[in-house]
Amino acid sequence: MLCLLALLTGVMVYAVFIGGYTISAVGLFKTITAPLQNLSNAISERVEYGLDLYRNAENYYQENRELRQEINKIHTQLADYEETKAELERLEAFIGIKEKHSDYSMTAPFDVIGYVANDIYLSFMIDGGSEDGISLYDTVVSDLGLVGVITELSEHVSTVTTILSPELSVAACTSSSREKGVLTGSVALASEGLCKLEYLEKDTDLKKEKIILTTGENGLFPGGYVIGYVKDVAMDDKGLTAYASIEPASDLKNLSMVVVITDFNGKAEHIDAES
Amino acid sequence: MQNRKHQKRSYAVLQTIQWILFAGLILLCYLFETSGSYHKPLVLIPAALCIASHTGEIQAMTVGAVCGLLLDLACGKLPGCNAILLVIFCVMVSLLYRYLLKQKLLNMLFLITICVFVQGFVDYVFYYAIWNYPDVELILENVIIPCGIMTIISGIVFYFVVKKIAESCQSHRIQKLEKMNPFSDLD
Repeated sequence: MLCLLALLTGVMVYAVFIGGYTISAVGLFKTITAPLQNLSNAISERVEYGLDLYRNAENYYQENRELRQEINKIHTQLADYEETKAELERLEAFIGIKEKHSDYSMTAPFDVIGYVANDIYLSFMIDGGSEDGISLYDTVVSDLGLVGVITELSEHVSTVTTILSPELSVAACTSSSREKGVLTGSVALASEGLCKLEYLEKDTDLKKEKIILTTGENGLFPGGYVIGYVKDVAMDDKGLTAYASIEPASDLKNLSMVVVITDFNGKAEHIDAES
Repeated sequence: MQNRKHQKRSYAVLQTIQWILFAGLILLCYLFETSGSYHKPLVLIPAALCIASHTGEIQAMTVGAVCGLLLDLACGKLPGCNAILLVIFCVMVSLLYRYLLKQKLLNMLFLITICVFVQGFVDYVFYYAIWNYPDVELILENVIIPCGIMTIISGIVFYFVVKKIAESCQSHRIQKLEKMNPFSDLD
């Protein structure tokens, strides 16, 4: 026993003297046992984890619920934010109209309540009426272009007839050459979402993608507002004049918000159904 | 005496439930008509006719007027135009089912077809053809005929839904009355 104690003391003294270095035998032992240590560590971690779960299950459950609620709240806020952002962008576009055309008196944007069932001219209803300052035959526009006119009015709801309807005729011209024509709806083109620019010169230089604007001549529509783009040019049946198929700048099938122009420079004093 | 009063009350409750369900169905049809910009069947027509086939003339007339006015609103037509048509058809259907016809799907589809044809004809003549716009026949081809066919097909659904509602309330009522007084005249 004394020998063993002496040996151990010797080892201890040696270890002190080699200063920080591991004794080779110990090093070897450590190397051999390292994988086993890893394994035991892993097992111990697992057991600790299990015990921890068992002990704190309720706390974790509560925490999990709170975090889920937090995530849901954040998701809702994010959705609200996205919606507000999209609405803001739309409203900014409408503000752009006012900046461009300072003579316009415009209402606040109105939501499209719904389309008239099975109407090929895509007439629709908006949630604004005479109480909101709208009058019969006021011009309706979107941020992209001319949409139509108010043809039915009540206190809080109005019906809009779009430029696809043959009931509407708009004095129009091209943005570049100022060539004039009359824009009207047509049964054949309405099903494709197009309208017709009639009475163009036979040798018109109108080309695809040219922008068509209102002239404002009849006092029903304000001048210089975008109507749409030329899709195609052809001769009429009698061969006397040419006409162009116009694709409205506004997506008339998927409108969600429009504004009503209640007044503008050159507006006709009295507009009746005939005009 | 008390038993009779009780019978009357249960009958009234069942009738109320039935009419609430019918009103809900009509409202759903109206919402369907006013949603989206695509072409759709005029579901208020089969709904009105199917309901009329299970009711008396006065109720049928009311249902026709309500559904017709809703259809006018949804289709942006002159208020009353479809209402007049549906009042006439609903009363006619109610009388036919009371005195002549049996509750059969084919009978109802036949009546819906006639009504859709008349409605489509009136709509085409007075809203489109009368103005003489070029290519006006395209409306008939692209809108009125396809929507009419869809309306007739949708009649199958309404026939069974309305029949189910009416029979549930009716059979329930008869069972209850039988339980309470097996010797009473249920009609």
